[in-house]
Amino acid sequence: MMKNKILGILAILCLLVAPQVLPNYAMTLLTELVILALFAMSLDLMVGYTKLVSFGHAGAYGLGAYACALLSLNTTLPLPIVILLSALIVGFIAIGIAWSCTMATGVSFAMLTLAFGQLAYAIAFKWVSVTGGSDGLSGIPKRPGPFGWTLLTTKPGFYLLTVACLLGAYFFCRALIKSPFGQVLRGIRENEMKVLALGYSTRRYKIAIVSIAYMFAGMAGALYAAFAGFAIPELLFWTVSGQVLIMVIVGGQGTLIGPMLGAVFFIMVEHKLSEITETWGLFMGLIFIAFVMFAPNGILGMLKKNTSAGKPSQGHAS
Amino acid sequence: METFSFILIQTLNALSQASLLFFLGSGLALIFGIMRVVNFSHGALYMLGAYVGYTTAKLSGSVWLAMFIAPLAVCVLGLFFEIGFLRRLYKRDESAFLLVTFGLTLVVAEVTRLTWGAPPLQVPLPSGLSGVLFILDEPMPTYRLFLIAAGALASVIIWGFLERTRLGLLIRATSQNSQMVHALGTDINIVRSGVFALGCGLAALGGVLAAPSITASPGMSSAVIDAFVIVIIGGMGSFLGAILGSLIVAAVQTFGNYFFPDFAMAILYLLMLGVLIIRPGGLLGKEA
Repeated sequence: MMKNKILGILAILCLLVAPQVLPNYAMTLLTELVILALFAMSLDLMVGYTKLVSFGHAGAYGLGAYACALLSLNTTLPLPIVILLSALIVGFIAIGIAWSCTMATGVSFAMLTLAFGQLAYAIAFKWVSVTGGSDGLSGIPKRPGPFGWTLLTTKPGFYLLTVACLLGAYFFCRALIKSPFGQVLRGIRENEMKVLALGYSTRRYKIAIVSIAYMFAGMAGALYAAFAGFAIPELLFWTVSGQVLIMVIVGGQGTLIGPMLGAVFFIMVEHKLSEITETWGLFMGLIFIAFVMFAPNGILGMLKKNTSAGKPSQGHAS
Repeated sequence: METFSFILIQTLNALSQASLLFFLGSGLALIFGIMRVVNFSHGALYMLGAYVGYTTAKLSGSVWLAMFIAPLAVCVLGLFFEIGFLRRLYKRDESAFLLVTFGLTLVVAEVTRLTWGAPPLQVPLPSGLSGVLFILDEPMPTYRLFLIAAGALASVIIWGFLERTRLGLLIRATSQNSQMVHALGTDINIVRSGVFALGCGLAALGGVLAAPSITASPGMSSAVIDAFVIVIIGGMGSFLGAILGSLIVAAVQTFGNYFFPDFAMAILYLLMLGVLIIRPGGLLGKEA
């Protein structure tokens, strides 16, 4: 639709102009938001497009953060290379995790992802000589380069790097889900037995999409570590997996854009509510339950319903 | 320490741990068996049981009373939640159920933090069980022996209830073919509500029993992962599988923590993966 394209271009322009306009503290918040949007979008590939509910996505995020920390502290590679390498490392590790988790289906799959996430958390906690134990790794430098380029290590420059990662990931994912590969994924979501009967090895597709989702989550984690300057075990804890799942569901699963809106919504609610009341977590839980019960297509689903009231609903918008 | 007495003491420790895990895992297995859905809030309810037990014990001065009140309170909460929320979701796919119980987890965790605060709270040992017995000259807290007895007794009672009573028959029938039971004139909604409440109550009982030895703390809600490991190993929805699963998990935790303290958790996950590869439905479960 033309209107969506214009909205999209406007949103990208806003993101790019933001450093010129916004004050410093707002830029910090916005950078964090862009990172979380990338994180949430990566989970949508699994939850929204393939109906693989993951409770261990923080594992990928944290792994990315630790990969970035270790690469930055022990090598002199420039920052963009570190981010890319971290994402690839996580994607590679994820092949093994995905191979194990896809042995199970449905609820057991979700539980296995949770178990792997917690295993990663335990390793980060126990393997003190590499991960720094409960203190984590701090003082992560943003190294300049490549070609002596120093722009990306400044605050606005780093922000542009996160935006570039988000946009790159978004366009990659959008092309992916529109491709025949994406068609198979949606087939798995609607009826895995049918896709299997058509001769597709659904498990291979699932392993592939889990690895890709983990890779982008790892990228988000690596960006976060560079942004915050530290990597701590808490990044891997299952409550983080829960938060990102909330973003996906509240924003609107199976839309890529929705989870990003969910991330914005989550951060806004967190900031606004924590100003007024200490109990914001409670309200977040109640909001989440309300969305699951009454608006399973999330914020984006509600927006779409309002703009196209006459059309028959398509269940999962894509 | 002699080898024999060492093995004996560690086995008793493992058995007492298995008892606690049994309360956690069997509730989850029962709920899964009857509804084909996973209750993510199981760990949070386990924690809530410990906290309600703490307050009951503090107000009444009796831990024994707490062991009665806490499961009952959580039972009632589970009942309301089933009727108010879960019942509307049976027509949706299983992930909706997982997500809404995850929402309940957040709410329970937050309410608990606001009511009782974040620092761990010490629950006293029940009167008459605070002593230590000597077995082959090795000290063994009486409370652990009590836990073993409680776990064994509860598993026999629940097994008897499921296998030897009319209501148990109804529950097993509903778990095998709920449509048929419904067609034969039983309101399966009542069976579902009842089993969900019972499962929640069992988790809370586990929580209040665990509290004297591990203190009541927010971290207890992570027990949901242990519960999942138990039912995945034992077999989703199988009651005997939950017993077997909790014995295996407790043994790995106890002996693993003794011999390889850094790898105990990894061993557990590897074991779970091994079971999934060899028998995807769990040791005593039907093939998935």
